[in-house]
Amino acid sequence: MGRYLIRRLIQAIPVLIGATFLIYWLAFKLPGDPIQALAGEKKADPLVAAMLREKYHLDESFLAQYWHYITNLAQGNFGETLTGRSVWDKITEAFPYTVNLALLAFAIEAVVGVLAGIMAALRRGRFLDQLVLLSTLLVISVPVFVTGFVLQLSLGVKLKTDFGFDFFPVSFNEADGIRAYLLPALVLASTSLAYVARLTRTSLMETMRADYVRTATAKGLPRSRVVGRHALRNALIPIVTFLGADLGSLMGGAVITEKIFNIHGIGGLLAESVYRKEGTVIVGVVSLLIIVYLVANLAVDMLYAVLDPRIRYA
Amino acid sequence: MRDTTTVGDELTTDTQTAGAPSASKHAKPAKKEREASLWSDAMGDLRRNPVFIIGAVLVLFLLVLAAVPGLFTSGSPFDATACKLQDSLKTPSSSHWFGYDIQGCDVYTRTVWAARNSVIVGITTTTLVLLVGSGLGLIAGWVGGFVDSVLSRFTEIFFAIPVLLGGMLIMSGLQGNAWTVSVVLATLGWPQIFRIMRSSVLQNKNNDYVMAARALGAGTWRITVRHILPNAVAPVIVVGAISLGVYISAEAALSYLGIGVQPPGISWGLMVSDASVRWLQAPHVLLFPAAALSVTVLAFIMVGDAVRDALDPKLR
Amino acid sequence: MRGATSAKWVAGAVVVAMAATACGTGKDDSGSSAGGSITVVLGEPQHGLVGQNTAESEGAEVLNALFTGLVQYDNKTNETQLAVAESIDTTDSQTWTIKLKDGYTFHNGDKVDAQSFVRAWNWGANQDNAAEGLPFFAKIEGSDELAPGKDKKPTATELKGLKVVDEKTFTVKLKAPFSQFKTMLGYNAFYPLPKAFDADPKKFGEAPIGNGAFQMDGVWEHNKQIKVKRYDKYPAEGRAKLQGVTFKIYDNLDTAYNDLRADTLQIVDKLPVSAMASVSQEFGDRYIYKPESGVGYIGLPLKTNPEAFGKVEIRKAISMAIDRDAITKTIFNGTRKPADDFINPLIPGYRKGALGEVGTYNPTKAKELYTQAGGIPGNKIELGYNADGGHKEWIEAVANQLKANLGIEVTAKPFTKFGDMLTELGDQKYKGAFRMAWSMDYPAAENYLRPIFSKVAIDNGSNYGAYVNEEFETLLDQADKTADPAEALKLYQQADDVIIKDLPYIPVFTYMSSSAYSKSVKNVEIDAQGRMDLAKVERN
Repeated sequence: MGRYLIRRLIQAIPVLIGATFLIYWLAFKLPGDPIQALAGEKKADPLVAAMLREKYHLDESFLAQYWHYITNLAQGNFGETLTGRSVWDKITEAFPYTVNLALLAFAIEAVVGVLAGIMAALRRGRFLDQLVLLSTLLVISVPVFVTGFVLQLSLGVKLKTDFGFDFFPVSFNEADGIRAYLLPALVLASTSLAYVARLTRTSLMETMRADYVRTATAKGLPRSRVVGRHALRNALIPIVTFLGADLGSLMGGAVITEKIFNIHGIGGLLAESVYRKEGTVIVGVVSLLIIVYLVANLAVDMLYAVLDPRIRYA
Repeated sequence: MRDTTTVGDELTTDTQTAGAPSASKHAKPAKKEREASLWSDAMGDLRRNPVFIIGAVLVLFLLVLAAVPGLFTSGSPFDATACKLQDSLKTPSSSHWFGYDIQGCDVYTRTVWAARNSVIVGITTTTLVLLVGSGLGLIAGWVGGFVDSVLSRFTEIFFAIPVLLGGMLIMSGLQGNAWTVSVVLATLGWPQIFRIMRSSVLQNKNNDYVMAARALGAGTWRITVRHILPNAVAPVIVVGAISLGVYISAEAALSYLGIGVQPPGISWGLMVSDASVRWLQAPHVLLFPAAALSVTVLAFIMVGDAVRDALDPKLR
Repeated sequence: MRGATSAKWVAGAVVVAMAATACGTGKDDSGSSAGGSITVVLGEPQHGLVGQNTAESEGAEVLNALFTGLVQYDNKTNETQLAVAESIDTTDSQTWTIKLKDGYTFHNGDKVDAQSFVRAWNWGANQDNAAEGLPFFAKIEGSDELAPGKDKKPTATELKGLKVVDEKTFTVKLKAPFSQFKTMLGYNAFYPLPKAFDADPKKFGEAPIGNGAFQMDGVWEHNKQIKVKRYDKYPAEGRAKLQGVTFKIYDNLDTAYNDLRADTLQIVDKLPVSAMASVSQEFGDRYIYKPESGVGYIGLPLKTNPEAFGKVEIRKAISMAIDRDAITKTIFNGTRKPADDFINPLIPGYRKGALGEVGTYNPTKAKELYTQAGGIPGNKIELGYNADGGHKEWIEAVANQLKANLGIEVTAKPFTKFGDMLTELGDQKYKGAFRMAWSMDYPAAENYLRPIFSKVAIDNGSNYGAYVNEEFETLLDQADKTADPAEALKLYQQADDVIIKDLPYIPVFTYMSSSAYSKSVKNVEIDAQGRMDLAKVERN
């Protein structure tokens, strides 16, 4: 197990370096002049622009810029934005929001998705099953920005103005605590939730037909125990895998949700940095997301061993 | 080392396919006849499946709509004289079913014409992803060793980059239209197919019938085409069918963010994005393209879903 | 600042403040009766909060609360009034003597003296600081030594033209006479800075010590909020009524508007498009709708594409083919007014209907002119706009009208940001017409002419079409040198007539600011730059 872990970690290094290089290159290739972008619609003063370009090495070649970045990074310095803010500060400001949002969304999709999937599987072909199937199809089909608008307006605005029910804040406000995250997390979770439900349904149906489940039933074990102890445990493997990979995309893919609900998270930071061509911020954030992704994947692989005794890592 | 990663990858595959758990694991070492019966069984299943029939009819309709929008509307979204500001935001009427947008253009005409880009993106992206993903996956699985390691790490890089972010980064530098969007989505989407293909090949290549074929003197190419591919194709098709709908949705998301299809091109995502500015004032302008988009994605996903069920022997 | 709405380049940037104390618990922080706190909208400012380095509207909004300049502008008439300055005198428009009032102090207790202005201006003028406001000091004698150009070192650290006479008096010598200098001094680049600034300018920008009616309450919490509280030692007549204001930072104006409706936010001074149709009904007299200093144009690349836009008849035809009324009413729900002069109606010197015939919709005459002039080669043009500022709708409307009325094939072409369009325009890669807007730095007719249409503005301003007319230049120079304000204004108007004749850009509309406030506040006034006058606001 230990050796396997180390090997996986070593393998992650080239992935990380490759990805940062690729992203830095893409950011470098972004069109437009970031210094002019600072000046909005007025032409940037040529002298001020020249001084800033020199300060941030923008007048140098791609490799030179990447070298500056990497050498700084090696010293633990994530660099500075073109407006003089520390990139690390910007990331750490945005990260907690995204983590909270992603975790809540994750919890919603895991709990609701798995429960819906189990119910559908146990009632195969009946009304409940059909309902789950149809509603998940629908949820998968409606784009996030439509879901976002609809929920914000119906639960956030209308519920308050028409019924005086003031539970869901219209937009994010830290003072509201967890309530502030509910709507956006629901929106963010919706698509994945549908996937989890369907995945659970098929996976569970499959394992229910396995010999050891039949044996357990034949032994006269109560159904709840058969499902809970034997079938579900095995059926969870693909679900866990999906959830593991999804945590990363929940964090990196919340651009639209964050935009609709005014959450100053990683998604918004990325969108803004792409817009402003802030290469250092883009690479910093993406590296972090990649680390999250790699760690989540590793954790999932470790979990296999727990869920399925047949899998052993040498 | 290969063995352990194989286990991991194979399972990860399932997660990615999301809808097709373990299809790959269960593509049994099949002989030719069995293969044929899998497909004919599947066809039989599909013909009886209402989900598939409704989905297929919708898809067919959309294909016609995309190919010859002129059949459904006499107007053209590219005719400026048809739009008059006096008509701005008028609600649906008997002569203009979907009403007018802010420019006073007919929403129905635009919605009909926008189908084309969505269909192009869905089909092109899926085709590219299937070609690149299964090509590389085949190589990685078959050749193995160093090539496999390098390719696998390479895919991980793409996997780790969130799609919307990658889309933003690449699209910002391109002239957005259906083709560039397809290429970008394919660039970010192929690793999924790669993994499925690779693990299918790994599973199949040590099977007895492959060994036998090799012992009989069959060349690599022949083995690949005759024995490996047919067995690996089912799970790939399954994922591809569902992804088609997902890609259409992704195009809309990119367009919504202003980095997908660019005007004067039209797309549902773009229409929703434009209309979202005033959607309280004139919800119909947002509603119709959003509904068209949702129905289209739904249609493709219904078909994909039904195909998956039919092709997955375990679900019979 | 910058082109109108420049501050809002962050895609859909929005700003709002939230009254955390006021709403959440209903408790107020202090017992003061004339108190209370409110929350208002803001977008994340770009730079540290230093006036010399701020050239966008969000930072300026906060600075406006934290600092008071030498002069300020009347909210209604836009006339220049003395603020920190006791007097600003000149005999030749070149050497100006500025005397300061007693009674203004920085929030750390330091007196606002002559040195505090000189300190600030010297810092802003020094190229090593790469401050955004640097161009504003270019008129002062000695500025070249502080900003000699790239790859050169400044040879001085102090502007030769600034002389401290005594604690309360200093003189400014300009390189050349400039009659509008006094008006210019209200711009935030001319705010003073306390001694404490020198120690660490960067840290200062996170929690500036100003001399305004409000002082910082804590430090700037990035992407979240900036809290300010009343400065009780501010001169009595301008002292703030509120106890505190929270600038809540929004990315999305729609969200801010929703919060305003829920009264978690008390003032939104930039309403989203989505609100326009219903806001007056919903907010009644709490909806403020007043002219703002911006002008929106269609810019024409005279230099890079003379084949298409070189003939003045073609430019006139384009201008007359645009139905300004329909666009302002339909697309903007009346939140813009058709432009009828290059100078904004708010500004002393504006003449109603100055554009005359060319500003009046007349498709028949337009088509006639267009045909007579021989049309545009290929009968095809592009109309560029930046996709990040909500310009798409009106640009597409203009494109449709030109197509319909002149029969030109017009393509509305989006650019990610305005700067991208400028770069392509500069590289001669883009040859189409483009959207353009200007909003004043200071309320003077001159500010609508020189920075946009003069020769120097080609490299160092907003003359993106590279328009040159010697007669226009001469008139501007004469006007700058004229000490008598009325005489100077006449000359500026003559210069205005020259560009009306030449039509280097096509003015389409002028901006209106639309703001709204919730039931819980009163006395909300919006100044000509569209900023909230927070010192006057009271809570109900």
